[in-house]
Amino acid sequence: MTQTAHNDFIFLATAVSVWLPFAAFAVITIFTRKRPRLSAGLSIGSVTVSMVIAFSLLLRLWSVGHPIEYTSRWFQTGSFSLFFGFLLDPTSLLMFALVGMISFLVQIYSLGYMHGDPGFSRYYASQSLFAWSMLSLTVSASLLQLYIFWELVGLCSYLLIGFWYEKFSATQAGKKAFVMTRAGDTAFLLGALLLLLHLGNVSIMQMDAPAAANRLSPVLMTTCVLLIFGGIVGKSAQFPLLTWLPDAMEGPTPVSALLHSATMVAAGVFLFARLFPFFSHSSAAMTVCLAVGTLSMLMASTMAMVDRDIKKVWAYSTISQLGYMVMGLSAGSSFAGFFHLTTHATFKALLFLCSGVWIHYFETNDMYEIARKNGRSLKIPLVCTILAAASLSGLPPLSGYFSKESILSALLLEPNPLWFLAGLLGVFMTAYYAFRPVFIILFPREFDGKEREGNRGFVYWIMAWPLILLACLTVGLGFLKAPLGSFLHAAVPPERVWVLPASIGLGLFGVFLTWYEFGRRSASQIGFVERSPGVKTFFLKRWFLDDLYAYLLKKVIYRGFAELLTRNDRQVIDGGIEKLCDLTVESSGIFSRVQSGVLRFNLMVMFVVLTLVGLYFFVF
Amino acid sequence: MIVPFSHVFMLAGALFFLGLVCIFARRNLIMTLIGIEIMMNAAAIAFVASAAHWHRLEGQAFVLFIIGVAATEVAVGLALVVAAHRRTGSVDPDRYDVLKW
Repeated sequence: MTQTAHNDFIFLATAVSVWLPFAAFAVITIFTRKRPRLSAGLSIGSVTVSMVIAFSLLLRLWSVGHPIEYTSRWFQTGSFSLFFGFLLDPTSLLMFALVGMISFLVQIYSLGYMHGDPGFSRYYASQSLFAWSMLSLTVSASLLQLYIFWELVGLCSYLLIGFWYEKFSATQAGKKAFVMTRAGDTAFLLGALLLLLHLGNVSIMQMDAPAAANRLSPVLMTTCVLLIFGGIVGKSAQFPLLTWLPDAMEGPTPVSALLHSATMVAAGVFLFARLFPFFSHSSAAMTVCLAVGTLSMLMASTMAMVDRDIKKVWAYSTISQLGYMVMGLSAGSSFAGFFHLTTHATFKALLFLCSGVWIHYFETNDMYEIARKNGRSLKIPLVCTILAAASLSGLPPLSGYFSKESILSALLLEPNPLWFLAGLLGVFMTAYYAFRPVFIILFPREFDGKEREGNRGFVYWIMAWPLILLACLTVGLGFLKAPLGSFLHAAVPPERVWVLPASIGLGLFGVFLTWYEFGRRSASQIGFVERSPGVKTFFLKRWFLDDLYAYLLKKVIYRGFAELLTRNDRQVIDGGIEKLCDLTVESSGIFSRVQSGVLRFNLMVMFVVLTLVGLYFFVF
Repeated sequence: MIVPFSHVFMLAGALFFLGLVCIFARRNLIMTLIGIEIMMNAAAIAFVASAAHWHRLEGQAFVLFIIGVAATEVAVGLALVVAAHRRTGSVDPDRYDVLKW
């Protein structure tokens, strides 16, 4: 085991923090299925401990200047030995704390949201499994270990999306999510194997070292980076593998808040930040990543501008903001992307959880319905949504402003101004789609009129407290920009003078436009994009990506590949065996003619044979 | 012995072979029985020749046994043939192919 002067205590703390949720999962699955409150208690207890340990590790190791790594050999075959361990550097410590905190808040929230659900224990078991996988992913020491937990979080995503499995669309969505991320993961595995072949069995720390660049040819480096980026595309729902995330909204809202906004989809960006020194050796690959991120960002923003389902809007927003993070990272600033990851986790989780309160009470995802049923009477979700939407749009002094501004500054460093302009366009569209639900819910048209009261009980408050906590974070996290920058040892992109007015101005313009179209008393509540039905359909149908995939599936896979294989199976394999059987039957028919049933011939044969035997023995 | 021993043996062999041919070549159960009779008589001749050659009387005694057995066998065989004829209506052994697959 390699370790530094810090003793086994840190290792023990990390190990406990990572494995306690797994213990909770095991206990819940085996023992406490019938006792939902005990299961919830176990799960929340374990994730609380994990979170506390995570934060204490973060604080304790804040000023340690170097990463700490613990590795030990798991198994060995010949000259190849697989090692597992923990790598605690600033990136992973921060992500560790973030995942722990959001898991904790979401699990508390779920006490209210999933109250009375028959699958309560199963839900908390899956949540614990996810907490274990995600926490292990953040502190993984090698790419192979990270891949294992990458797949595990994909599994948890499948389990949690298809949680209400009686609903067919939910199981379809879970399957779609799993298969699409699997496609990305195949690329990831290929990249990891290539690296294994050429670099040897290295840990992430060794990969990030400058020495690694010399051992790979440029072409090979670009290929490896692009393949690993393929995994990121799948997991973080970038173009072209982005359609699974909106469908993943079939899962319960806390799951959407945890997995599909703050942690699991952020695992891709986290990997990018982790391997940032390694990735930056290949500028061609970084340009491709930048293009992919920009495209996803713009595409998803357009899709969010027209949808009526509030969870889908936030899902598209997640894709778009992940695109922003990828843009920031590819532009050369790991701080920008990673900082946006942390702020985005807080305000996106907040947005989802607020929507969850409305969905829980009004049993509809449609924002116009929520408005009609007097959604704005639930004050805490409303205020938190406004705060989070403002943060999403990048309005100061909220956290989103600081992180978005650093991304835009990083984009300015690129030689081609196209990226920066795309970023600005994204700012405008973000503000637009973020405030559209806000104004729709704030100013409903037809009004059901009933003030909801009397439901301010335990369920409401247990859902409200995480919202308040997250809102405080949304407001305050931006001011930690400088300390975090120094903690992450990453260069904070220099702030240009005219980025501020540009992004604030565009953000405010977006807000004003939504107010003009949705908020005013006489407004028609139809957005400027929704006015032309062609554009609206195009954006609603996700730029026909789903249709394209269905078409490709049908033509290439079903009619082409699967047909070929079926025919092979039926005619070659089955047919071959059948022909063999027929041959056997035929030949046995031929041979059975020896048994003519005629007694005389049998006797004759017997006599001939006996004569020959006699000849053989007595004459020769 | 008046004739050489080997000649009598050859006669017995030829008779045996003729009896066998009688079984194979005729499509009549009665002819099968006759063939069997011929074969048994051939064996009897061989026994008699051996008794004369080696001057032991057991050979001749055995021939008596053979004749007795032949008689019994013919009785039983004919009974079987009658029963078989009653069942299938013919004495052709080729008709009895129930064991053929």
